[in-house]
Amino acid sequence: MKKVLLALFLIANGLGQALAEAQPAPKQPHDMAKMWQTSLARQPLAATATFDAKGRLWLASAKDGHVMVSHSDDQGKTFSEPVIVNPETEFVAADGENRPKILVAGNGNIYVSYTRSMETPFSGNVRFSRSVDGGKSFSAPITVNDNLEAFTHRFEAMGLNKRGQIYIAWLDKRAASEANKKGEKYSGIAIFYAVSDDEGKSFKANLKAVDHTCECCRVAMAIDTDDYPVVIWRHIFDSNVRDHALVKLDGKMKPVRLSHENWNIAACPHHGPSISIASDGVYHATWFSNAPERHGLFYANSSDQGKTFSSPLNFGNFEAQPAHPFVLSLGKRVYLAWKEFDGESTGIFGMISSDSGKSWSAPKKLAATADVSDSPMLLGDSNRVYLSWNTLKEGYRLIEFSGENK
Amino acid sequence: MKLFSFLMGLSLTVLSFVPQATLAAQEIKPFVRGSYQQIVAARQGKPFILNFWSLSCGYCRVELGMLKKLTRKYPNLDLALVSTDTLEEENQVSAALAKYSLGKAEAWVFADSYTERLRFEVDKTWQGELPRTYFFSAKGEVTAVSGKVAQKEVEQWIKEQYSSR
Repeated sequence: MKKVLLALFLIANGLGQALAEAQPAPKQPHDMAKMWQTSLARQPLAATATFDAKGRLWLASAKDGHVMVSHSDDQGKTFSEPVIVNPETEFVAADGENRPKILVAGNGNIYVSYTRSMETPFSGNVRFSRSVDGGKSFSAPITVNDNLEAFTHRFEAMGLNKRGQIYIAWLDKRAASEANKKGEKYSGIAIFYAVSDDEGKSFKANLKAVDHTCECCRVAMAIDTDDYPVVIWRHIFDSNVRDHALVKLDGKMKPVRLSHENWNIAACPHHGPSISIASDGVYHATWFSNAPERHGLFYANSSDQGKTFSSPLNFGNFEAQPAHPFVLSLGKRVYLAWKEFDGESTGIFGMISSDSGKSWSAPKKLAATADVSDSPMLLGDSNRVYLSWNTLKEGYRLIEFSGENK
Repeated sequence: MKLFSFLMGLSLTVLSFVPQATLAAQEIKPFVRGSYQQIVAARQGKPFILNFWSLSCGYCRVELGMLKKLTRKYPNLDLALVSTDTLEEENQVSAALAKYSLGKAEAWVFADSYTERLRFEVDKTWQGELPRTYFFSAKGEVTAVSGKVAQKEVEQWIKEQYSSR
């Protein structure tokens, strides 16, 4: 009975969704002052770190309406006084799937991107700032999206290639909005992107990468060996199947389906994927699904530029809320990290492959906390790998991901 | 029973003409460790729907709109609504519920920022996707659904669960 009922729900969900989308999203501006209060009270833990070419660790985080950048020369034990990126306070999105991003170019330029939430619910703009003086000061942030209507331009991902081009891709509602204005149905929203060829002084006109993406799951980007970025995201297939897809932003590739759990759901899971492209050109991807038949965390790789993927590996303890997986490759070594909760505390688990993702070590707990925490990220420093994790109780930690247990 | 339903429906219709400010004063209970068990224990042997939603979830608003219709059509439907927002957003939560005329439903809001812990007590296999709805039958069977549920199917469930009572 339970299964039948569930199946009925799932089938009928598609129909319900078609109806739901015929109605415009309710416009209900929030009380700005209240929003501020709530936002500031939340103590955002979202922090992104990266190593520069000299091994210095750079950290971007959000506090009191500012993106802050600091650096560490002792693997995260101590940090420099943070430098403010945006001089005027903004509603910096730094919870859930939102986080400020930071990358350092070979010439030492520092690039920061983030989403600025706006007053209308779900609305936001993609912001960008750079430092050309080694992080002493940052340029006034610019808005990268060239459509400024009060709806989603959020969940940006940023990439930097060897030629110094900066790519930013994000979820954008403009195509959906245009379709709705014409009275047409449009499932989900779209991915738009822009490139900067002048070291972040400006970005070129926005381009649409793909239609019909899920609305609130982070976009992930990695730079391929040919210097083009590859993005993966949660897509909407058919009426409401929210599995993953991939496209290279080379202006040629058509999006391909990456995962087949068939998660038919009229919701946004707020749970985006992660991708890493190895120096040998193998794509490594990880994602989350809660489809009735195939659920939990998944990993797969592709040796043919994303045309086909290996049979997905299902990992993590599904009875412990496995969540927010992150993948990093260093040559043939591949690292996975994810979150689990055992009823009392949150752990970050990791596992390692030394053969391009064909076989894996047993999962190992890398760190734990007994309160709120950010999602895990992995960083590579020539041949060492670190877990970058911010927690309310312990603060920011950079923890070496040791591979000795293999 | 039918007359009772009719009267309840009538009173609810009347209520819906009352200015919203009156309904906005609805009590929002803090959802902490043990709250889930409390909600379930208070309803032993009775069918009810437990719905988790959030201010930042577009599909949840669509679903609240549907629940508004259903509570009017089936006034004896026992509905508990848990917002996964924060205590600081209590007023916005309350205003949203008033907007969907759900002031009669039992309303809760997450009051522990360690949301993993709250979710774990509800369901170890719920990763936080919203809306998340649990259908508790009179026999204690629980069906969990992620995402907006179809009105037709909820109505079928309500009819099954409440007709025998």
